Amino acid sequence: MSHNQDKSSAYGQGVLIFVYLVALTALEYFVAVTFSAVSILVVVAVIKAALVMYYYMHIYKLNEDSGDDTHSYAYKTGTNRLGLWLFLLSDAFVFAGLLTTRVNLLGLTRPHLNQILGVGVTAVLLISSFFMNRGETAMAHGDKKGFIANALVTFVLGLGFLLGVVAVEWPAAAAEGLTASSGTAGAVFYMMTGMHAFHVFTGLVFLLVIINNARKDVYSEDKHWGVEAVTVYWHFVDLVWIFFYPALYLIGKLL
Amino acid sequence: MGHFLVVGILVIVMAVLTYLGLDAAGLMPVQASAQSVSIDWLWNWQLIAISFLFSLIVVPMVYSLIVFRRKKGETGDGQHIEGNTPLEIAWTIVPLFIVLAFAYMGAYSLGQTRSIDPNAMVVKVKAQQFVWTFEYPEYGIISKELHLPVNKQVILKMESADVIHSFWVPEFRVKQDVVPGRVTEYRITPTLIGDYKVRCAELCGASHAYMEGPVIVNSQADYDMWISEQAAIAAEAAKTPEGQGQLLTVKNGCIGCHSLDGAKMTGPTWFNLYGSDVKLEGGSTVVADDAFITESILDPKAKEVAGFAPTVMPPYALSETEIANIIAYLKTLK
Amino acid sequence: MGLVFAASGSWTYVHLVPVLLALFGGATAYSWGASGLSPLTKGFIWLDLGALIGFALGLVIDWVVQGSLNWVAPTASLFSLLFGFTGFFLGVAGFNAVSKGLIWQITGTLIGAIFISVIRVAMGLTWSGPFLFTEPAWVLGGFLGVLFFLGGNGAVSDWFKWAQGIDTPDHHEEHYTGWEKYLHISFDHKVIGIQYTVTALLLISVGGLFALIFRTELAASQLQFLTTDMKLFGQNGPQLYNTFMSLHGMIMIVSILLGMAGITNFVVPLLLGAQDMAFPRLNSFAFWISVPATVLLLMSLILGGFDTGWTGYPPLSARAPVGMQMFFLGVFTAGWSSILGALNVIVTVVRMRSKGMTAFRMPIFVWASIATSIIALTATQFIGLAFQLVMFQRLFGMGFFDPAKGGNPVLFQHLFWFYSHPAVYVFILPGLGVISELLPVFARKPLFGYRWIAMSSLAIALVGFLVWAHHMFTSGMNEYLRVPFMYSTLLVAIPTGVKFFSWVATLWKGKIWAPTPMLFVLGGIVVFLLGGLTGPPNATVSTDLHLHDTYFIVGHFHDTIFGGFVFPFFAALYYWFPKATGRRMNETLGKVHFWLMTPAFFILTFGMMRIGLLGMRRRIVDYDPALNFDFTHLILTVMGFMIAISVLIFIYNFFNSIKNGEKAEGNVWNSRSPEWQVPSPMPTHNYDQPFEVVGEPYDYGLAGAPKYVEFAAPAKSKHK
Repeated sequence: MSHNQDKSSAYGQGVLIFVYLVALTALEYFVAVTFSAVSILVVVAVIKAALVMYYYMHIYKLNEDSGDDTHSYAYKTGTNRLGLWLFLLSDAFVFAGLLTTRVNLLGLTRPHLNQILGVGVTAVLLISSFFMNRGETAMAHGDKKGFIANALVTFVLGLGFLLGVVAVEWPAAAAEGLTASSGTAGAVFYMMTGMHAFHVFTGLVFLLVIINNARKDVYSEDKHWGVEAVTVYWHFVDLVWIFFYPALYLIGKLL
Repeated sequence: MGHFLVVGILVIVMAVLTYLGLDAAGLMPVQASAQSVSIDWLWNWQLIAISFLFSLIVVPMVYSLIVFRRKKGETGDGQHIEGNTPLEIAWTIVPLFIVLAFAYMGAYSLGQTRSIDPNAMVVKVKAQQFVWTFEYPEYGIISKELHLPVNKQVILKMESADVIHSFWVPEFRVKQDVVPGRVTEYRITPTLIGDYKVRCAELCGASHAYMEGPVIVNSQADYDMWISEQAAIAAEAAKTPEGQGQLLTVKNGCIGCHSLDGAKMTGPTWFNLYGSDVKLEGGSTVVADDAFITESILDPKAKEVAGFAPTVMPPYALSETEIANIIAYLKTLK
Repeated sequence: MGLVFAASGSWTYVHLVPVLLALFGGATAYSWGASGLSPLTKGFIWLDLGALIGFALGLVIDWVVQGSLNWVAPTASLFSLLFGFTGFFLGVAGFNAVSKGLIWQITGTLIGAIFISVIRVAMGLTWSGPFLFTEPAWVLGGFLGVLFFLGGNGAVSDWFKWAQGIDTPDHHEEHYTGWEKYLHISFDHKVIGIQYTVTALLLISVGGLFALIFRTELAASQLQFLTTDMKLFGQNGPQLYNTFMSLHGMIMIVSILLGMAGITNFVVPLLLGAQDMAFPRLNSFAFWISVPATVLLLMSLILGGFDTGWTGYPPLSARAPVGMQMFFLGVFTAGWSSILGALNVIVTVVRMRSKGMTAFRMPIFVWASIATSIIALTATQFIGLAFQLVMFQRLFGMGFFDPAKGGNPVLFQHLFWFYSHPAVYVFILPGLGVISELLPVFARKPLFGYRWIAMSSLAIALVGFLVWAHHMFTSGMNEYLRVPFMYSTLLVAIPTGVKFFSWVATLWKGKIWAPTPMLFVLGGIVVFLLGGLTGPPNATVSTDLHLHDTYFIVGHFHDTIFGGFVFPFFAALYYWFPKATGRRMNETLGKVHFWLMTPAFFILTFGMMRIGLLGMRRRIVDYDPALNFDFTHLILTVMGFMIAISVLIFIYNFFNSIKNGEKAEGNVWNSRSPEWQVPSPMPTHNYDQPFEVVGEPYDYGLAGAPKYVEFAAPAKSKHK
């Protein structure tokens, strides 16, 4: 996997991965509504996560040689990259803990939730990841305008996801009796979506920061660590949802 | 080679002396249950291992400090020994086997403590802040004391009304938490007649230290006698309102915090309580009449008694008749 | 000191305020007499004033809100604490990172609390309670207080500049010199290391004071000191006992995390030959976040306390007073300090090593830091999450651990111990690293089996992730899980054993000399050995059924923590003190410290284990006189005070030697390690010339062995 691709083939790869992810999400939904096999759902989620981690979050860059000059931008970027990934590893433990809590308290059951809404917000977040990838690719090829346009689309979609969960899904669930204090199912639902929504919110703030900085010409083709960091973080938030979505909406019998 | 020989002998001597010393110190309370036998057996092996390993490290250490110390005026360094791979492998592999042996012995000993007698007698245990209550379902007895016949396995089915507690009689060795929302089991075969105490071993709040209850191991004959006495008392008490009130106060664990003789416990005493003036937090006074007592049962925090605030008592949802019976009982406490 | 506590038992606790004022007034007067109107004297004056003003203000507010005058109102105590604390730092050096941060923290707390209170009033709910504000108000207030502290004291100002697209230089000019730079934001790892260390010493003193308070109560059966009649911070004696006991645990844990972070921060970049940590701003942030965390922990004492022990098990923690929430918030915040510090250490070690420093040529302490950091980075999130879940259960009625709503109290224990057992290795691994690092220097021999020791640290860290449920053998969790956890727990003995055997082999045939640091290393080995050997009986399930939650456990873990942290921490301070200050600490006082503390500590833990076996439960304010433990407990209390005295001697020695210690600018310990090859104290940007590793770190005793590091020939400075 070369990371020195030309711009159009990099865009092409982003589209291809997006198509895979869409197909796998569709498969996931189909499996859930037909024969609800937990093992298949888990495998699909892991494949999706691996695709995102490799192609969108380009984890392989951790291995990139950044030279010997410890004062160079490239070397510092390598150091920052390791720091970011360690932070994500640490953060992943929060979400792993929440999944553990969900499995322990709910087992193979799930709360009654609006399926259409679930697929809807999932799709919105997935599409936002696609545009985020395009934005980063644009910046890596020195296309500032392309970056800002794509990042703005990402921001709008991310905001859509956040409102979809917090302003639409939460009141809808509460109206059906699933409140925070109604029982463990409600507690788990609000805690998991809430913690994830908090991360989406911080991601949106970071997006605004890099859009604003790009306007000020802070980033260039060679020096755009800020863009890379926010991109990786944004995909990480998507990656968490790859697990949370089936855990909340698809796996197990309805309560 | 001389150093090794001396150290080897010293290690053995020290290990033996340490073990004998620990053994003579009488570290454990008396054995009063069948389960304690296998636990103490494993404990003894642990002591042997502790004595040996302690000597194995400390003796060569102290020996080195004395023999290989830097004498006055010396400036040189020690011998250049970087390591010894066979030795490192040895002190990885040998402990591995010792560890596996102990794990096996631990599993065996655990199995022994859990050996099941199908004819075990059942006692229900209710734990709550800060009192133990024991119910003998076959006889309709509810008691603050746990009476057990000697040499007979009993299975305690334990439930908690509020927070986590832990049932522990040191002389029985075994300990088991009592977790709200589930029934935990505790199997024990008492083997020694005597008076013991169950002591709550999981921090459960302000008066956790005082959450103790008598555990009395009787001979079968004494036990039978106690059972029939208690059954008779219970039957008699059920006939009058104050008797029923008394039973309720035992069943609900009230007397874990309220004394009947004027002693100060977690809550105010009931001795001479009815009709008296009660000082409240903040300086006002209230008469302990029916209304006050009813309110204090249903909503204990409504009026905080001076010297006992903040109130730790949870609300008890008792019926009107039950409360009337308890009040009738309180009137008798003079 | 014990007498003071014992005597105060009979007073009404209103008098505690004048007592405290008299104490601080006395300190003020002493300081004035000794040094005139020095910064410290000014600090004390401002502290007294702040505490008085805070007390009066709190009293009036409480009077207005509650409608009656209450001399022991928690509100008054709280304002007194916060204003006094802030006043001290204002008095010492005017506006600095600490005083600014504290002022902002108080502001943030009030804004958060008032915001919620206004909303509650608008919703028709009550806004006030016995602790002035309601619980939700305090939670938001506490949280905002932390954010305001960090925003207000400048810890994040560079990041804000970056967010606006403004670049900042790698290193800031140091505006302050001498002791003042420690009160300001600094990105220098050595300054941060010392900030951590001094904060840790302060916390050790606070945690130790709490221990002395409850040990005094335990000196005899029945209640004599913390009686049920007393009332302080809205708690009676036994409740206060529980709060002190719980906070002793957590404050000591935080002090350990900060103490080891201090040593790691100061030493690791020097050992690696780096100019600084990989992320200097993050490093500074990780330190500063621990300050508001500490304030939150202390606030929990005043806001009604909590009675759960440091473990905070629900359902008890779901019922405890407001203090519980402050405790949870404080631990959560301190957790971030630990996580971010660990992240920084790993990146620094991976990216910032000097030329030629391959994995197996790193100083052994670096290996220990890596092993520790792996745990702290990941597992800490679990305790944060577990505590958050209880916080939300309390705030919103979410039923995670509430059996009435289908929740599972045992789940909390799993989440909690998944961090809190590995955390024990976070406490001890750096200490064991210090032992391994210092032994060769004082035995004048290579470290025996370097690679094995390095790998054993990693092994302990990794196996440590698989043993958590051994804390839950009696908890009612799945029966069949107990045996595998027994196996995994016992496995920890193997890498630990490798360390012990290697240490003994390092001493064997050395040329041992034992100045104070070496004494603490040796004491640490023996004490940790006792902790290690008393571990397996807790690991084998059946014996643990007896030992669990008794004083045997208390003795066991104090052995592991003293052997794994306290002794090596002191060793490290005595050892690296000249590197930081250019002076050394007084040897005689150091030896007095050691010979007072060590025997007292042995007696303390032996006594604890003995009564534990005989039936003394953990965490009890009073014990059955029929058990005949009175005499032993009296001895234990006396030993506790002896340890306290020895630590006071240490603290005196520490601060006195900064100014008056014997000059020591060279290679005091005749070590091969790079930091000792240059004069002390270390210059701001560490080594003037980069070095290259050309030999083994511990090649003592080999004539003609190459040096460990070779410095490059002086050239034009490359610093930007």
